[in-house]
Parts: sequence; structure tokens; C-alpha cells
Amino acid sequence: MNDKAGNMMVKMPVTIIMFVLGLFMIVPFLWMLSTSFQTPTEVFKNWLPASLNWSNHIRVWTGNYDFVSYYLNSLKISVIGTVGAVFLSALAAYGFSRTSFKGRDGLFVVYLSMMMVPPQVLFVPKFIMFNWVGIYNTHWALILPAMFSIFGVFMLRQFFMSIPKEITESAFLDGAGHYKIFFRLILPLAKPAIATFAILDFSWQWNDYENALVFLQSPKLYTIPLGLQNFILENNVDYNGMMAASSAAIIPMIIIFFVGQKYIIQGISSSAVKG
Amino acid sequence: MKRRSWMDRQGWIGMTFILPNMIGILLFFIIPAIYSFVLMFTNYQFSNPNWQFTGLDNLKRLFHDDNFYASIKYTVIFLISVPVSMVLAFIVALFLNRSVYLKGLLRGMFFLPYISSGVAVAFVWMLLFQPSQGPINEMLRWIGITSPPGWFADTETAMYAIDIVQIWLMLGYNMIIYLAALQEISTEQLEAARIDGASTFKTTWKIVWPLVSPTTFLLMITGLIMTMKSFSIIQAITAGGPSGSTTVLSLFVYKTAFSYYDMGYASAISWFLFAVILFITVIQWIGQKRWVHY
Repeated sequence: MNDKAGNMMVKMPVTIIMFVLGLFMIVPFLWMLSTSFQTPTEVFKNWLPASLNWSNHIRVWTGNYDFVSYYLNSLKISVIGTVGAVFLSALAAYGFSRTSFKGRDGLFVVYLSMMMVPPQVLFVPKFIMFNWVGIYNTHWALILPAMFSIFGVFMLRQFFMSIPKEITESAFLDGAGHYKIFFRLILPLAKPAIATFAILDFSWQWNDYENALVFLQSPKLYTIPLGLQNFILENNVDYNGMMAASSAAIIPMIIIFFVGQKYIIQGISSSAVKG
Repeated sequence: MKRRSWMDRQGWIGMTFILPNMIGILLFFIIPAIYSFVLMFTNYQFSNPNWQFTGLDNLKRLFHDDNFYASIKYTVIFLISVPVSMVLAFIVALFLNRSVYLKGLLRGMFFLPYISSGVAVAFVWMLLFQPSQGPINEMLRWIGITSPPGWFADTETAMYAIDIVQIWLMLGYNMIIYLAALQEISTEQLEAARIDGASTFKTTWKIVWPLVSPTTFLLMITGLIMTMKSFSIIQAITAGGPSGSTTVLSLFVYKTAFSYYDMGYASAISWFLFAVILFITVIQWIGQKRWVHY
């Protein structure tokens, strides 16, 4: 037996075993999709729909619950929040890695220590403060805090530190200032790290349920996770509608995942040091 | 050597990079954290303007509160998901690190739960675990279990059912990190063991597992912390019920604050949660050097 065939003898069965295990992981998604195309009488009876019944999906998008506006709200919050977080984190990461001033490292330790504070500690004071300032029950209550990401500063700083000092030093000798170096050199060089952070941050914000739950009240402001909940609580028996709405909530994330898989995995691997 | 003034030109430029971010961190993290710390010593309720400082009353109340001890118990049950998910992830990572076809697709299949919307995933599991007709109980009946558990509907099993969802959810995350660690191991060491006649199992147990122990330790710590903070899945599936049997610490804080508006007390509970996280983090600091074997 030659080496290649021997390799295949191991490779094939391992692939099949892993594929079967992997199927178990995605069965809930397949079941969700299948149920979303079934009629109420089919639910729990058949694994596959008798025929593709689109009415549940149509009902989600055009029914009493304004899924279109949930989508737009989520999109608005996630996009503005992510753009803000990327830019402000990159600026701060540059400050923490490429400039020096007294107390810089001490300040960074304060940043890191804030990562330990669980969100539950911050809900009550933020609720009171947002009420007081008047941004409670507005999208700003979600967008503004999302623009400041400690994780973003941390991750981008790690990346900026890995860029050789020589590159920026030669630019200094040519008379460039910090801002020029940041915009012209570091940002273009950091594209992969920025893409990684942007994709992760977007997915967190798209899926964020807790903040929306605490800070939004008016149904017309609801984001997808909240809208979903709203949809389900009032339609306790409408399993098909539930699954159609859940599919609609997940599909964008699945697309983003398959497009940006490489970046997401890099980001997750480096986030293990997050602590 | 010239001594630098407190803040020279360079320093000011450096500050301007950090300042915009720092303002936000101050407003949305540091000030709320301090505010919450102060609230812990008050009887503040959202509807009651006549709040006053009550000293350590909230803490005393906390340590006499049966709900608090119950929530600790449920949190501990919730935390079982961390090691279980890690062991499964390690096994999957071992296989995916060997030669398999369609590596990217397989990795994606295991990782998908982690990236998908928590609430949507929660609803699917609600249906899968539905007691009377759900597919999981259908299958259990099919293999001969006549009275399968009520899962989320039963106070005895609800927390364990949540564990199953959490294991499923975190498996992909743990797997990705284990994969990264496995790829760092040099093939020479494994070759050497094989030449000496060690079986695959023995090589894995005696060489690979100790070599990834820093990762195991790190995943354990971060997993415990992430799980302690996690909220969405439980809130969406059971909202802490039935009869409070899935009210872990994070939900206990939320309920106290936003169902009972007992905000001073909620702050006290949230700082207990913080203390536990701090404790785990300190263990990490100490343990990093000592508990890593290779």
C-alpha cells in the first residue's frame, strides 16, 4: 500500500466521524429551517416539510410585528456602533503602543481592570444615568456605550505592537507626525486586525440582547433579539412563526461568518488572552 | 540626561489619541462602576426618591437571603458546562487537527452555534426540549424511555437542560482555541514518541495533553468568567424559571433590579458577582506559573 492510500484510509473515516458529530451541532439550525417551512399540523411530526410553505416567512416580514424595522434598527445600531468602536479603539491603541507619556502604562492597567467588571454591575447605574440624561429608551443608549470597546483597544494594541518600530521611525525621520503615521502607515498595515475586530464587534452588537432588554422600551425601537422575544411571547403556540423569525435573525450572521471565517477565527484565538 | 517635564509635547499628542476613548470609558464604565459601588450601601429604589444610606444592610440581607444561596447553587450547576464543553472540544480539536477532508467546513459546523444570535438559538432549543412532543423526548421514547424529563419545564431538570445548550454553544469556541494550541506543538516531539513505540492514545495523554495545559488552564478560567456573566440564553429560554430554578447570579441581579426595582440590593448582588470574578482572576495570576505542567 503506498503512502497516499494509507493516508486516505485514515482520513476518510475520521472525516465521516467528524461530519456526523458536526451534524449534531447543526441539527438545531436545520430543524429551525425545516419547521419554518412547515404548516402548524406538521410541527413535531415530520422532520422535513411536506412542501416548501413560505407563508410563515411572509408573515414574519409583513405581519403585525414589524420585522423590517427591527432589522433596520439593528443595522443602524450595529453599524454606527462598530464604526465608532473601530475608530476610537484604533486611536487609543495607537496612543497606548506608539506614543509615550507619563502614566500611560498605569492608565492601560485601569483599562484592563475594567474588563473584569461584569455587565451586571453596570446595568443599574447606567439605567439611572441614562434616564437622567434622557437617552434611556433611545438608540443612543445602545450606540454610545458600544462605541467604546476595551477589548478593541486591547486587541488592536497587541497588533500595533507587532508592527516593527523601524517602519514608523523612518517616517519620523522624514518629518511625519503621529497623526500622519497613524492614518497613512498604521491603519493601512492594520487592516487584517481591524477587519477581525470589526466583524467580531458587529456580531456582538447584532446579537446583543441584554442591553436592548434593559435600555429599550418602545416596541418601535426594538432590535432583532428583542423583537424576536416580543414575537414569541405573544405567539406562544405559533411554532412555525417562531422558527421563521429565528431563521431571519440568524441568516445575516451565517453569511458574515462564512465570508469572514478566517478573521473571526483569528480574532477568537487572540481573544483567549482576554481574561 | 534631560529630565522630561510632566507632560511634554510628545506626551500631549499621545494623550489626544487616547482621550476620545478615555472619555467614553470614564462615562460608561468607570463612573457607573463607582456609582454602583455607592448604591450598594443605599436602599435606592427607582420609584422611591427618599432613599438613604443604609450601610451594610444590603450585604447582611444578602447573606440571609435564601434566593441568594439558591442562585449560587444554580450558578455552580451552570458552571459544570465549562469543563464538559472543554473536554469535548479537546477531542474534536484532536481529530480536526489530524488530516481530514473538508477541514474548513467541519470547523464551521462546530463553530456556528457560537456566532449565532443567542435568542434565536434559545427558541430552537425550547422547541427541541418541548416535553410532550419535542423531538428530543420523542427520540427518548423511541429508545424506550417511557417518561422522559420535562427539561426546561421541570425545576429538577431545567438547569441541566440549560447546561446542555451552553455546552453546545461554547464547544466551537473552545475547539478553535484548542486547535490553535495544537498547531503550536512541534511534530518532532510526536514523531519521537511514535518511534519509541508509544500508542496514539498514550502520546495524546502523556505528551499532547500536558503540552496544551496552559490553554486548558486559560480556557477554564475564561470559561468560568464568561459563564458567570452570561445571561441571554437563560433569560430567553426560561427567564429564570420555573419557580426560580434557573435563576443564576447574573439573572438574580437582573430580576432584583428590573423586576422589583430594588436597585441598591441589586448592586450589592452584582458586586458579589464581581468579587467571585476577581477571585477567579487572582487564581489565574497565581496559577499561571504553578499549575501548568509540561
